Amino acid sequence: MTTSLKKLVTAVSTSVALMGAGYAAADIQIGIAGPMTGPVAQYGDMQFSGARMAIAQINAKGGVMGEKLVAVEYDDVCDPKQAVTVANRLVNDGVRYVIGHLCSSSTQPASDIYEDEGILMITPASTSPEVTERGYELVFRTIGLDSMQGPVAGNYIASLNPERVAVVHDKQQYGEGIATAVRDTLKDKGIEIAMFEGVTAGDKDFSSLVTKLKQADVDYVYFGGYHPELGLILRQARQAGLDAVFMGPEGVGNNDINTIAGEASEGLLVTLPPSFDEKEENQELVNAFEAKGEDPSGPFVLTSYAAVQLVAQGIEAANSQDPFDVAAALRSGTFETPIGTVEYDKAGDMKSFEFVVYEWHSDGSKTPLN
Amino acid sequence: MQDLLYFSQQLINGLTIGSAYALIAIGYTMVYGIIGMINFAHGEIYMIGAYTALIAITGLTALGIAWLPLILIVALLCAMLVSSSMGWAVERIAYRPVRGRHRLIPLISAIGMSIFLQNYVHLAQGSRNVGFPALIEGGFNFSADGAFEMSLSYMQITIFVTTLVCMTALSLFISRSRTGRACRAVSQDLGMASLLGIDTNRIISATFIIGAALAAVAGLLLGMYYGSVDPLFGFIAGLKAFTAAVLGGIGSIPGAMLGGLILGVSESMTSGYLSGEYKDVVSFGLLILILLFKPTGLLGKPEVEKI
Repeated sequence: MTTSLKKLVTAVSTSVALMGAGYAAADIQIGIAGPMTGPVAQYGDMQFSGARMAIAQINAKGGVMGEKLVAVEYDDVCDPKQAVTVANRLVNDGVRYVIGHLCSSSTQPASDIYEDEGILMITPASTSPEVTERGYELVFRTIGLDSMQGPVAGNYIASLNPERVAVVHDKQQYGEGIATAVRDTLKDKGIEIAMFEGVTAGDKDFSSLVTKLKQADVDYVYFGGYHPELGLILRQARQAGLDAVFMGPEGVGNNDINTIAGEASEGLLVTLPPSFDEKEENQELVNAFEAKGEDPSGPFVLTSYAAVQLVAQGIEAANSQDPFDVAAALRSGTFETPIGTVEYDKAGDMKSFEFVVYEWHSDGSKTPLN
Repeated sequence: MQDLLYFSQQLINGLTIGSAYALIAIGYTMVYGIIGMINFAHGEIYMIGAYTALIAITGLTALGIAWLPLILIVALLCAMLVSSSMGWAVERIAYRPVRGRHRLIPLISAIGMSIFLQNYVHLAQGSRNVGFPALIEGGFNFSADGAFEMSLSYMQITIFVTTLVCMTALSLFISRSRTGRACRAVSQDLGMASLLGIDTNRIISATFIIGAALAAVAGLLLGMYYGSVDPLFGFIAGLKAFTAAVLGGIGSIPGAMLGGLILGVSESMTSGYLSGEYKDVVSFGLLILILLFKPTGLLGKPEVEKI
């Protein structure tokens, strides 16, 4: 009964929204494209909830240039093929600003279409450096890059005055990239790198590696890669009695590492985007989310909120609704958002995006260290 | 002294993993010895064994049973039972109907079966890594005055001893029992064995069942040793075990054991003294070298053309 009622309400509200979009031609349409269904739908929920909240709050304050913002939502299932279909639908619907997509693999092909069709895109979640590497004019993001994490991790390890550090990676673009950045940062600080070595992603037996780490008598190990390998390394290191401290990028920071490593994940260091919802200046906003029964603590809620705000502020700064003018305005101005002061470089990346070092606990919780 | 301890530690690591490779390799080598086909779905049988053992362990722990030997034995029996039935079913469904056709047909059927089983587990168990509880913890530590401490865990001893027991039992079975004798007869000449009144279909099924049961033992042991399983668990292990079987001489049971140990030790020595990145390069390079100079593998007998 309740579910059918819910369906009815959704159906009615969707048709109302569609009608609204059809009638009010003067409104500014904001496309939100991300996964509503599929394996990473929980991340999509964060994106939609943040963007909807921003649209509602901006409209409550009178909209942008006297016009209301209207959300138009699309589901790409985090599938590159669906993302292209969604991008084409967006073009046909006449949307000129997109908040999305979420997965880098979706953002990449969709952004080709947006750039060609003159649509401004701000992704609140895609961290792959390639997204902004192609010299596109209309592509922006409100999140850091994979390549920014390495130096943060390297500097943190250096600040602990380690004697010998080992850097291990999974030989893949993401992992080796970050690991190389960590190694270079540490070398610049004059810290001895005892080992720089790759493992094969998908491998299960790391006993030889662990033995080697023990022999090298390292006190810190940085691992560039994902949780399946690091989880096993942690566990096998614990069993072999290696007492080094491990550190990894955001690719290892999810609860699956606890199911693999168990107790051994206690004390792991992880670099993650900061918890924007814990900042004092965002408390009013956090309360607004909580009043709606939504959780603002997910990593992509406030980045999506900021993305909508940036579109609105960009339109106002450019005093034009042409996406190219808005893009130029975004590149030249500085903007205040819940994720901090945003300034863009030529590529469409934020000039600074801090990553925070957390201490991971085996129950899945984490405490910030810097 | 320090260096000696380090060397022994890498040797132990290599022997542990090598004996597990050998257990899986038996399945490849026996099937090849009897019907001359490579059962590419064997790695998946091993993966299913690991999953079954994990499910059994989780179930028993949930029931409040904490007595370790009971948990291990029940998990082992469940894994062997499920894997053996799978091995038997795979042969009945995918290989028997195409037996005796062109060599490529059963091979393609085997690859199809492997893809099917992998995706079946993806759907049934999810594609995430699942943690495997470490049931056997602790071990012996040896240390000289230096900082490096060599450790030999109870888990490694368990793997080694179990493999040894399984191999001895298998050798006795093949050389002494009636079914074992029939196995040897079928592997020498399938047609002749059938004329002499051996039920060859039964013997072929038995081969698949034995191979699958040993793979299940390896699945339980390695699941506990590594600490996690996922649906792709069997892919790399299957590839390595197949290499071990070819290295030792495909079709030969002692060859599979030797091949597994050589492969395991060469992998761990490469990681230990060179770099983990060259692990696979060295082990597959070794395979090519041995095949160049001894095409039948280390203990394989030269194939006599059957007329």
